[in-house]
Amino acid sequence: MNEEERKILSIRFVVVSLIFLALAGLEGLLMRFRILNILTEFFDEKHFYSMMTAHPFVGVYGWAYMAVMGAFYFLVPYILKKDIYSKKAAYASFWLMLIGTLTVWTTTFITHYAPLYTLYWPIPTAYEIIGWDIHSILFFGLGVTLILGGVLVFFANMFATIFLPLRHTDGASPSPWYVIRELLTTAFNLDKIKAKIKKTPEYSAKAFNYPVFVVAVFRGCVDTTLNAFVIGGVGLLLTIFAVSHMIPGAAIPITAVDPLIYKNVFWWGLDLIADGNVLIFTAGTWYLIVPLILNRKLYGESVVRTVILADLVVSLFVWNHHMLADTPQPILLQVQGQLFTWGELITMGLTMFAVLATMWFARPVKYTAPLKFVLASIVGYAVGGLAGIIQANYASNRFFHNTQWVIGIHGHIQLLVGLSLTLFAAIYALFPLLTGKALDEKLASLHLILWTVGGLVMGLSMGLAGTLGMLRRTLYPMGLGPYEPYMFYATVGALMLGVGFIVFLVNILKTVKISDLLKIVFSSKY
Amino acid sequence: MAPQLIIEYIYFSIIAIVIGFIIAFYILTQRGGDRREDPTEKQEEKKGMEKGEKRWLIFLLTILVIGNILMLSPILPSAKYALWLEDEPRLTITIEVKNYEFILPEKPIRVPAGVPVEFIVVSADLLYGFGVFRKDGLIVFQMQVVPQPYTNRIIWIFEEPGYYDIRSTEYSGPKHPYMYVPDAIYVVGG
Repeated sequence: MNEEERKILSIRFVVVSLIFLALAGLEGLLMRFRILNILTEFFDEKHFYSMMTAHPFVGVYGWAYMAVMGAFYFLVPYILKKDIYSKKAAYASFWLMLIGTLTVWTTTFITHYAPLYTLYWPIPTAYEIIGWDIHSILFFGLGVTLILGGVLVFFANMFATIFLPLRHTDGASPSPWYVIRELLTTAFNLDKIKAKIKKTPEYSAKAFNYPVFVVAVFRGCVDTTLNAFVIGGVGLLLTIFAVSHMIPGAAIPITAVDPLIYKNVFWWGLDLIADGNVLIFTAGTWYLIVPLILNRKLYGESVVRTVILADLVVSLFVWNHHMLADTPQPILLQVQGQLFTWGELITMGLTMFAVLATMWFARPVKYTAPLKFVLASIVGYAVGGLAGIIQANYASNRFFHNTQWVIGIHGHIQLLVGLSLTLFAAIYALFPLLTGKALDEKLASLHLILWTVGGLVMGLSMGLAGTLGMLRRTLYPMGLGPYEPYMFYATVGALMLGVGFIVFLVNILKTVKISDLLKIVFSSKY
Repeated sequence: MAPQLIIEYIYFSIIAIVIGFIIAFYILTQRGGDRREDPTEKQEEKKGMEKGEKRWLIFLLTILVIGNILMLSPILPSAKYALWLEDEPRLTITIEVKNYEFILPEKPIRVPAGVPVEFIVVSADLLYGFGVFRKDGLIVFQMQVVPQPYTNRIIWIFEEPGYYDIRSTEYSGPKHPYMYVPDAIYVVGG
């Protein structure tokens, strides 16, 4: 795959991811109106909850994952000065993600299947009690399996690109054992331990020779790969369950799965998205963009490398903060979940410090669009991250669990103001490299202001309603009562986000012709 | 004042400082004369931490220790009743949940104020939530209701007499918003 092909692949991923962002945004806006008990004649509870099921899949896998994939398929080979390991795998990951996300979306849209992204057992399979069609479980399960299959193909390709010599340079394929050994050694810092035991002065692991951005990429890939196995496994489980119920006499009983053990495994896997994709890929993008634009070395780079790997340990033990309201869960596990979650304060705190210190020592800084977006994304992570630390405590979870606080201040501010602004920063930085044209700075600033203020207004309003007791995932058909003003302001924030996104699209379409973009997306070989 | 409202005030004060800091940072970093000397550029491949980094780490560790001590201490009623309460519950109330319905032993459930009361909630089919709310909508406490064979228990002491509502706090299907029982609990003044 030459550089031109990689550019086309990257643009294709980014264009599709933006379409999915628009779709997720439209769903979000419609749901905001429905929560206000407007549009009730257009969609009932079944439709609302099926939309709520599709929304995070489209937003997280369709937008965030596909944008990250597009950026990394270009940036990792660009930084390492080598080709992507497998061209076919790169295109396969694109199609698996696209078809999988569309399958999940159409299934929920047509059948109104609505287990939500949490998929708590036995809800996704209780079709006889809830009244879902068994075929909807099959198609939904297949869609989830395809998405996570795409994720696994992408990460395998990334690992191979980072670690393996190219097949065509020496003519031979490396052994699977070599891949596994390199992966484990670098990801779990085993080389450092080995060096200490053998008292050798230098680390052997390649992780310490790679640029810090690449270290973050493969570190995030470890989390997101484990996540893909778990969530993809759930997709497969649903598919098998549905098939078994279509064959007479072969039905797997709902009681075959323990709901509490399932919930533990599910959250262990699901929370790894938060760490791998949302935190570490973001950190990696900051580590790349900020020093590159400022022509400056990253402040405290050696410490940052250690922090990235230390965060892996933290991320493997935080899932219990999702289960603090489950009283059958052993209390020791819950306290452990709380303590490890506070560890994120240290790792993300040091990450932000390194980025801000790099900027501080580069004064006077000329803020271009990517740099402004990075700075605003730090606000998103600080505001959303702090809310996360507060709710992830055994005691405070009694009144914050499942409220609008969790999904508003923590979830949406982290995803919209933190992660999405980082992804936009990457798009603004990559755009000239991919198209040879730069986007308009004034429109970029307008996009930034509308998106940041809109995201904060929406998330904070939801959070204020959450403190007063308003639940997430709940409609209030009898009236919103004291929560209504907050939901109104949240809708205003959502509209600002929408206008900000339109400004971004105008900026792109002012710079490149839509026909050129469509040609790139639809006309290449794969 | 309810503990979540106190936490909210503290949180909003902190994030106001954070947003103010970033705005000041944005203005200040555009000013200044020559590029400042970067301590990391003086030493190639420095392995240790910079002084500023060390101070920041110590600050974060201090917050971590203080935060955990506070959150696990009996300051918050929810921690007090779950981790520090020595008295046995005076009253046990068992509630069954089935087919999107709370089956209460009586309505309203009468409980005395100021004494530990244990709620046992069992689900015969799906995963639900069990939340107790004040009449103004403020949440008092909640727990997840994991279906059988699990039993879900929580001990609480009601300080204020009056009526309380019960609502499912976890999604369990599109009928979930209707799992609401107004005036389900009546706390009798002690």
